[in-house]
Amino acid sequence: MQEAEFDSLLSTCRIQLANGEREKIKKDIEEVIRYFDSMDSMDCGGFGEAYHPIQIPEKTRDDEVIKCSKSDSYLKGIKTYRFYVVGPKI
Amino acid sequence: MKIGLEIHVSLPTKSKLFCSCSNSATEPNSAICEVCMGLPGSKPVLNKGALAIAKRVAEALNMKINERTSFVRKVYFYPDLPKSYQITQLDEPIGTNGHLDINGKQIHIRRIQLEEDPAKLVRGDDYTLIDFNRSGKPLVEIITEPDIASEDELRSFIAELRSILYYCDIEINEEMKTDLNISGIDSENGERVEVKNITGIAGLTGALRYEITRQSELARKGTLVERETRSYNEAEMRTVAMRKKESDEEYGLIYDADLTEYDLSKVKIEKPIIASRVAHEYASKYGFDPKILLELIMLSKESLLLIDASKGKYPAQTITAGIEYLKKYDKINISRDSFNSLLNLVEKKGMVNKETIEKIEKGEKVESYSGISDEELERTIERMINEKSILLNEYEKNKKVFNFIVGRVAKEKNLDPRYVSEKLNKVLSERFGLV
Amino acid sequence: MSSINEFYSKEKKESYYETLVKELSSLNKELNAFSTINESINSGYPFSAKDNICVKGFESTASSRILAGYKPEFSATSINKLLSKDFGFLGKTVMDEFGFGSFGVNCETPARNPFNPEYVAGGSSSGAAVAASIMKYHLAIAESTGGSISTPAAFCGVVGFTPTYGTVSRYGLIDYANSLDKIGIISRHAEDIREAFSVIQGEDPQDSTSVGKVPEEKKKDKIIILKEAMEHAEEKVRSSFARLIGKLENMGYKVEEKSFEPISKAVSIYYIISMAEASTNLAKYTGFKYGYQGEDFTKGYNAFFTEARNKFGEEAKRRVILGTFVRGASVKSKYYGKALRARALIIDGMNKLLGDGYILTPTMPITTPKFTEVKELTPLQSYASDILTIPPNLCGFPHISFPYDYVGGMPLGAQLVSSHFNDNAVIGFAEQWEKQFEYKFRYNLGSL
Repeated sequence: MQEAEFDSLLSTCRIQLANGEREKIKKDIEEVIRYFDSMDSMDCGGFGEAYHPIQIPEKTRDDEVIKCSKSDSYLKGIKTYRFYVVGPKI
Repeated sequence: MKIGLEIHVSLPTKSKLFCSCSNSATEPNSAICEVCMGLPGSKPVLNKGALAIAKRVAEALNMKINERTSFVRKVYFYPDLPKSYQITQLDEPIGTNGHLDINGKQIHIRRIQLEEDPAKLVRGDDYTLIDFNRSGKPLVEIITEPDIASEDELRSFIAELRSILYYCDIEINEEMKTDLNISGIDSENGERVEVKNITGIAGLTGALRYEITRQSELARKGTLVERETRSYNEAEMRTVAMRKKESDEEYGLIYDADLTEYDLSKVKIEKPIIASRVAHEYASKYGFDPKILLELIMLSKESLLLIDASKGKYPAQTITAGIEYLKKYDKINISRDSFNSLLNLVEKKGMVNKETIEKIEKGEKVESYSGISDEELERTIERMINEKSILLNEYEKNKKVFNFIVGRVAKEKNLDPRYVSEKLNKVLSERFGLV
Repeated sequence: MSSINEFYSKEKKESYYETLVKELSSLNKELNAFSTINESINSGYPFSAKDNICVKGFESTASSRILAGYKPEFSATSINKLLSKDFGFLGKTVMDEFGFGSFGVNCETPARNPFNPEYVAGGSSSGAAVAASIMKYHLAIAESTGGSISTPAAFCGVVGFTPTYGTVSRYGLIDYANSLDKIGIISRHAEDIREAFSVIQGEDPQDSTSVGKVPEEKKKDKIIILKEAMEHAEEKVRSSFARLIGKLENMGYKVEEKSFEPISKAVSIYYIISMAEASTNLAKYTGFKYGYQGEDFTKGYNAFFTEARNKFGEEAKRRVILGTFVRGASVKSKYYGKALRARALIIDGMNKLLGDGYILTPTMPITTPKFTEVKELTPLQSYASDILTIPPNLCGFPHISFPYDYVGGMPLGAQLVSSHFNDNAVIGFAEQWEKQFEYKFRYNLGSL
């Protein structure tokens, strides 16, 4: 993997690696990707994508409002300002 | 010129798309839970109601409805997105391949997908304020092909879409968020420019006009239009180049395995009403101007029924006035017969108020000064002004006196105040030389 | 009689729980099984929850620094079900960060093997297996994505049961890989597992992927040995396992060796799917709202998020990067898409194999390693050691790991697999096994 490609991968997932860590992890990752490539030889003809291991009957919920009373407790321990949650600058 | 739209429309459900929090809370962060806050351990469960509305919209837009629909995770990092991924759709959206007919031309609609809204951000100098009430609200995204060729077509398309959505109980106006793609303003340089974050309908035409001017200007100078993403600044009514957004490579969309596939063929919906089609039908059936009917059907959903009830016996203006009265007095669900009695009253320029409508509903006779001629009314007004000449002096200082005169005459003669004010204007200018 | 019934039937001193907590706290200093011990426990059969399972009001961090301080406002459905049946919550157990590991070493304070603390406990439900191994009466609620119940159960000499995908609600589970995660149970005896499973299984309206199908018990008399699985096992494991086969034949089972070549690709398939899903699940950790909270909002969201995500351990970073890579639009069909189709192929093939019997393999191809040995492994070598636990996990099949031998003082585990929803049959098999094989334990905290 090219250094630039690895850099863009890191920035895509917002991960920063220290210098020593970077070389090691990049090498590990290249080795694992090569291992993944061995899957290329598999012929999966006729098989669709299995998103789950079993068939799951669909589950939906009725359009009803139930639990708004607890809202306050979800703001516990969070920095807030006039009921707004405070987050990093955009 | 080729214009394509990606329109995001909020759905009028009671609860959010994947949790039971209210979809209409106002105080910041008052309708939040572990699911729409994206807290570790929480899991989404799909709102059946949202699925049904989305399917109905898809059907109204003449789309091919997928038998099965599923969701994906679109990953990007921004403070408005609590899970850092948005649950949206990819391979199995609600519908594909639809179209709307605009003045005999088909505008194709590529797909319609159901997705969750991110939270609302308030930008600060050093931080951001976040309201998670909006996080997880259901949206449909309607994506058109670049088939729109002019501002006029854009307006007609939006008007048609608006009426269709209105009859699906969805009102678009101030909140509608649109991304606009434009290319080929000058046929020589056809790079595509995308304008993001356009709010409302006025913003949409504003952004389009600005881009047409900007790109024509560039073309005139011989500068190539670059492929880029811009954002619309509503206050300044102009578009500006914006931060680089994630590409598809970075979004890395994958199936959301917290959810399953959903069988859309089992979702029961009411047949959608294509209001413009019905309006055109009535227009030719009863001899109305289709344009007036199109406006009328956007006044209220019951308009369609009421127009049909009046069976072409009254002119369009009378029907419009009748429907406006019903809306004003919250009587839109009036019976067809009562509506016709109301139209009769309006036609006779009688006074209409809550009382008279209720009388009509009860089948009671409504006193109305019928048979007054224009001349007679004008004379009555003139007489009243002459009797109290002080009114005239006052009028010059205070225009409110106008309403006073109208009210007096309308009440005395049981007349429609609008009719009276029309005549008062005439009398003031013709007999007293006042404007 | 199950230990649960035995526990309730026996007289207990008033100070029972106090003594248990005291002894456990003291031993925990050596073995690091628990991240939190609930000192206020005062009733019920003691159970613990793996640290990625939310318990209201108790720190639930999935052993990650980025979640330090996260005390959920809600409990997992499985926990609520246990509490409603008078089980007593004893604490949270240590694990590989977010479940990322086979040996329990990918966290700040790894749990140690109760048979010998120089050896690893196995992962990722390391603390859960240790907890079950050191206490006379205990249920450890654990979770498996690719072997996280079987492996530590085998290394710590206890029984580890992983149910069919979807039979136990994942609500309240801090996600690793949503299409693979299963909450299960580690305990000393299969009988207790049967009882606890009947409590925690069932459809949950809060988990869209939970299913209501009642687990079955279709007993089989045939055991299938997979040729490819045995090829990966080291010699010591193979010879012990051969003795186990002999015993099972004596018990009346027909044993047959079969081959299923695609199984050799299961490790790739599993890691692609699990890392792709994990990289989306871990995207939410950006350093505000819960867990670790960054201070400096002025630096802008990108720098702020990136700084916070430095709290991930090395293995978490590796999996997030790899997972982000395999789902990138340009390679998605080669990796993620292909892996999903290959999973369908493996499920189909394994289902055919399981049609007329159980599949039995050693749980791990190696004997329990020491911490020093695990340190030498590359990530790929470590992943490859999951070769025997991955196939049933990838396919969502119910499976159970049970102790069957002791070599050099350390236990060995074997893993029995059956078809979807035949959960009670694998539990029943282990119940039958333990009637004629005595498990060994080094500690018996809380005995009566």
